[in-house]
Order: sequence, then C-alpha cells, then structure tokens
Amino acid sequence: MIPKNIEKQLNILDYALSSLWRRRLKSLSVLLVFAAVIFLLASFQMVTQALTAKAKQLLVHTPEITLQQMSAGRQEAIALTYSHQLAEIFGIRKVVPRIWGYYFDEVRLANYTIIGMDLSEIPGNALLDTTLLSGTMPEKAEQGKVVVGQSITKSLELGGRLTFSLFRPDLSLKSFEISGEFAPDTDILSHDLIVMNLADARDLFSIPTGLATDLCVYVTNPQEIETIAKKISAALPGVRVLTRPQIQKTYQVVFGWRSGFGSICLLAALAAFAILAWDKASGLSPEEKREIAILKVLGWETGDILAVRFWESVSVSGLACLVGITAAYIHVVYFAASLFRPVLMGWSVLRPELQLLPRLAAGDILLILAFTVIPYLAATVIPAWRNATVPADAALGG
Amino acid sequence: MFLNPWSLALSLCSLVVLLLGAIAGRTAVRVLRFWEPGSDSNRQIRLENEIWLSSTLVAYGLGFQIITLILFVLAADQFCQVIVGAMCATGALLANPFGMPALLIKLVGVFFYGFWILLHQLDIRSEHYPLVRIKYLALLLLLPLLVLDVTLQTLYIAGIKPDIITSCCAVVFGEDIGRTANLMTGYSQQGLLATFIGSIVVLGLLGGGLLQRWRSWLAKLYAAGWLWFFGLALVMITTVVSSYVYAMPFHKCPFCLLKPEYHYFGFALYGTLIAAAFCGTSPAFAGLVRGRKGLSAIVARYQRLALILSLLLLVIFSGLSFYHYLKYLISGGEG
Repeated sequence: MIPKNIEKQLNILDYALSSLWRRRLKSLSVLLVFAAVIFLLASFQMVTQALTAKAKQLLVHTPEITLQQMSAGRQEAIALTYSHQLAEIFGIRKVVPRIWGYYFDEVRLANYTIIGMDLSEIPGNALLDTTLLSGTMPEKAEQGKVVVGQSITKSLELGGRLTFSLFRPDLSLKSFEISGEFAPDTDILSHDLIVMNLADARDLFSIPTGLATDLCVYVTNPQEIETIAKKISAALPGVRVLTRPQIQKTYQVVFGWRSGFGSICLLAALAAFAILAWDKASGLSPEEKREIAILKVLGWETGDILAVRFWESVSVSGLACLVGITAAYIHVVYFAASLFRPVLMGWSVLRPELQLLPRLAAGDILLILAFTVIPYLAATVIPAWRNATVPADAALGG
Repeated sequence: MFLNPWSLALSLCSLVVLLLGAIAGRTAVRVLRFWEPGSDSNRQIRLENEIWLSSTLVAYGLGFQIITLILFVLAADQFCQVIVGAMCATGALLANPFGMPALLIKLVGVFFYGFWILLHQLDIRSEHYPLVRIKYLALLLLLPLLVLDVTLQTLYIAGIKPDIITSCCAVVFGEDIGRTANLMTGYSQQGLLATFIGSIVVLGLLGGGLLQRWRSWLAKLYAAGWLWFFGLALVMITTVVSSYVYAMPFHKCPFCLLKPEYHYFGFALYGTLIAAAFCGTSPAFAGLVRGRKGLSAIVARYQRLALILSLLLLVIFSGLSFYHYLKYLISGGEG
C-alpha cells in the first residue's frame, strides 16, 4: 500500500504532467531553450574533463624530473657535466640528456618537433616500440635513422621513399632515413614529431658537444620526487627543476581556468534563459487563471498548486537535462567537440585529430544540474506563487 | 580561484539562495509587524498568501543548500588536484583557514533549515497558525547564518591559490607525530569502537523507553544523545571506518568516501547519519511547541513518527558503518 502522502504527490505529479501536455507548445519552447543551455554548459564541462584526463594519461610517460638551464630568465642549453653532480644524489635512477627543438620547414611552411635522445638509455624503453605502427626506434649507434609521426610523411610528400633531408643552420643539408612510423593513436603527441638519436639532433641544430636542451631525470620511487627535486635545486642553483606532478597541476589549472572562463560567457545565456523562464511562468492566460480558480473552489490549497508548479518545473528540467546532456555527449564523443575545441586547446593551426572520451562521474552531473536547474527552479518559484494565490472570485469573473 | 566551474557553480547557488532568503526575510518582517490572526483586512489576506511563498522559498533554499553542501565537498576534491601538496579534499579544505568552518556552517545550516521547515509543517497543520510569529522570528535569525555561510565560502574560494603547499590527509589524519595539523589522532581505536557501540546501545535503549511511554525529559536526553552520537560518528567515520573502506591503514579521510572509486559509499553513510540525527533531535525540538493551541495531537504524532524513523535509521547506519569492518574481520581483507 502506498502511504497517503506519497499517493497525493503522485496524483499531483500526474496532474502536472497532463497540464504540461495541455500547454505543449509553451512547454516545448521552454524545454528546447533549456536543453540548449544545458547542452552548451555540459559540452564545456565534458571537454574539460576529457582533456584533463587525456593530459594526465599522457604525462604518465614523461620523465619524473626535467632540468632546464635558465639564464636571464630564458632557457638555454644545459651542460652534460651536471649529470656527474647529480650522480651523488641517492634515488636517481638515470639522467638522460635530451635535445628538444622545433624545426621550421621553409619549403612546406610547417613546424616539426624534433626530439633527439638516446632511447636505449630510458628506463623501460622496451615499451617504446609498442607506439610504432611499423619499423623500430633508432639505435644509439645508427646514424641518420629517424622515426616520424603520421603527418610528417604526408607533409614531406615522401610517397614510397624513405629518405629526406633537412637544413642545418648554415644551410648545408643533412639527410635522414625513416626507420619507423608512429601509430595513429599516439597522434596527440607524435603527430608532428621526428625522433632521432642525440648525435643527429646535435648535428642538425649545430649544438656544441657537451650541451643539450634539457636533462631528463628518472626517479625510482615516485614518493621521492619532491625530495630529490629539492636536492637538485640546492645542488644546481641556476637550473629550473620541473617535476611531473607540477606539470600535471599546471595543466589542470589551465583547463580549469579556460572552462571557468567559458562558463562565465555562458552565464549570460543562462541569465537570458532564467528571464525567459520567469516570463513564461508569469504570463497567465485567462484560461489558466480560471483553471486555478476552479481548483481552489474544488478545495485545493495554495500549497497544492505550488506543488503542481514544482513538479512541472522538475519534469521540464529533468527532461531538458536528459536531452541536453545526451546531446553534449554526442557532440563531444562523435563530433570531437568541434564547437569548443579551439577555445580549450590553444590556437595552433595544425592540430592533431583527437578522440575525446569524457567519463562522467555523478559529481559532474551534479555540477551541471547546479549550474542550470537551480537557477531555473529559483526563477519559476515566484511566478508559481503568484499563480497559486490568484483570488478565485476575481478569476471566475465573480 | 573563482575562474573554475566548481567555484562558479557554488557562488551561483549561494547567490540564488541568498536572493530567496532575502525575499522570505521581507515577508518575515511584514508578518512580525502586521500579523493579526482575527482580522480579515486586505493586508492580513495578503500576508496569509505570502507565508506560502516564504515557506516555499525556505524549502527550496534547504534543497539548494543540501546540494551546495555536496557540491562543496566535491569541489574541494577537485581543487586538491591544483593545489600542490594536497592529495584529497582534506588537504584542499585545510589550504586556508576558511575551508573547514565553511563546511561546518553548511552542515549545521542543513539542520537549522530542516527545523524551520518542521516548524512550518506543524504550523500549517493547525487551523490557528499558532507558530507564525516564532517561525518568522526564527527565519530572521536564520538569515545571518546564511550570510555567514556564503561569506565563508567566498573567502575560501578567494583564498585558494593554486600553488600553496598543504598537507595531504595522509599527514593530517595520519599516525606519525606531526605538528598542529594532527586533527584526529590520539584516540585509541579500540576505545573509540567501544564508545561507539556503547552509544548505539544506549540510544537504542533510550528510544525504546520513549516508545513505551513518552516522557519529555527522556526526549531531551535522547536528543542530547543524538547530538553526541553525531559528533562521535563523524570522528569514528574519519578514524576507523574510512580506512576499512579504502583498505588502506593510513588513509583516514572522511571525504574520499564520496568518490565513485568507493561506489559513492559516503553518500549512503552520511545521508543516513544526517537524516537519523535530524529525526533523533527533532522530537525534543517539536516538544518545545507542544503546549501551543491546537498542536498537541499533531506534535505527538510527529514525535512518534520521528522516533521510529530515527531508530530505523540508526540500525541502517550501524549496519553501513560496520559492514567493511566485519567483512575485514571475517574474510581477512580485500578479495
């Protein structure tokens, strides 16, 4: 048996739904606008969430600590001799020098990312081969062998050839042979990437021996990252020490900031919607006034009519949320959030294809609800009360 | 750090609640000044309509405050990812001096708004509206609480700088001898467990005694017992229950329970606890107005219902809080 109170609320809900159906054009217009607002906010939230998760997932493979030489506030080449000083710090597994730079191809007007590193030195390097679609990573002794990303092959118009040349700073040519290609699912990182060994990169950029752009420090125990970073910065005062958690937090702040900024822009839309909802809810036609008056004559109390209006608002917002959030999910997953990606991902012209997969937790849904449903309910409550307190005699023309 | 969707949503909800509170407050002032139960003047009829509005507004406000309470904890959990050194919501809430007070005020607020709605429900059940003046005086007293809540929350959000170092919960609630940050150590686990079980038994006995025969001093004792138990349960969840849920002896955090990794277990746990504490304390609260005209039967009915509910919820809460502990004792841990 259903308790009396719940049965009453169920009957009121039933009445509210039929009342919404009777005014279906008005309800539908509010529903559609509401769903659109929710769609915008939810898309933003989902893109942020997916991008943050993606960044986190990718950063797992970066070295625990990166060292960069700073001079006059700018980054400079770092001396390899520092690694001898670092060898005394207990807990460091390996220090690997890296040359990381950008090569502007004047013929094809494209920027390539170049990473020169002796990959065999990296702990866990066996896994690197799994990122390749074909071929192998260049060995330390192999000169002129490179692994390239998907778009490089296209951009260089290689056809079936495996060799190509790039200019050194003095405009002499250095030739390379492709020994492997990155798989498409690593695109977000490898799309414009050319990986070669350290000596080749040094030759290409004419960097003197004994220098590199940065030193990658691999730490055995992740719990010790902070301590080791502190020790390094004490031992090498002029060096900038970047830890992986720091970089992760920075990404999080940037994405959070951008998403917050986007939400502020959408607040205008939300305010406009709240005004629309207020307006729709307060404009009562004579028939509606008569309906309320009849209900009151039949013995309904003000509280019951308020409950009808409450259930109407809840049904409209529930349905709008369902439509809006589903549409946002489709937009983000199947259309890669094409409306908002430029705002959240930076302004680069060449951008990799990206698969976004938001994982919506209950908290995110609550956030979207708080952003949209609460202002809507608040905007409709006062008009609802005005409706509910229409004097019966006046409305019936008495 | 206002430019973050969580901070924005919290601020937006608070603004909405403040607005609703202000409108209800306006009615309150008018009711206190002009309320004349016997009169049939235009003003009186208008006021009788307005009390419907204000009570609806407070009911909405209560609902929204419960949502902001959850949102606040979840937001803190998000903030910890950008605050260097914070590993979960505890670290984020301790990042500046306003976090914990804001949370406490929100929690206390939920009870007070609930009491107000109870008062209102009792009032409209009687034909004479005997509680109108008390109710609106209480509403005016609730407004400063609301303002305090919003102020603390705003100060907390404004004070979050994404680069300060805080201690994570492993340090704060941890076993090692730390500095002032050790909020929840120094309790012996066995002693706490014994007190907890003892309190449950005593509460059950008191409730049973009340069910047998209603005595107002016993109801007050029962309410006081619930207040004590509410605090004790929060300490118990933090120091004992949580680490059994996480299956990690040194992770003692009251907030991570709310995460999807732990199947949102915290919502069930805190939901029952808060509802139980409300049902447990409200009979004594309702007893205060029992003597008013036309209320004694209504209050008595409510008191009995709340008492039965509180006992039921106590059983559910005990079951929930001992589930992981017993599972550990019987099966020897995870898997």
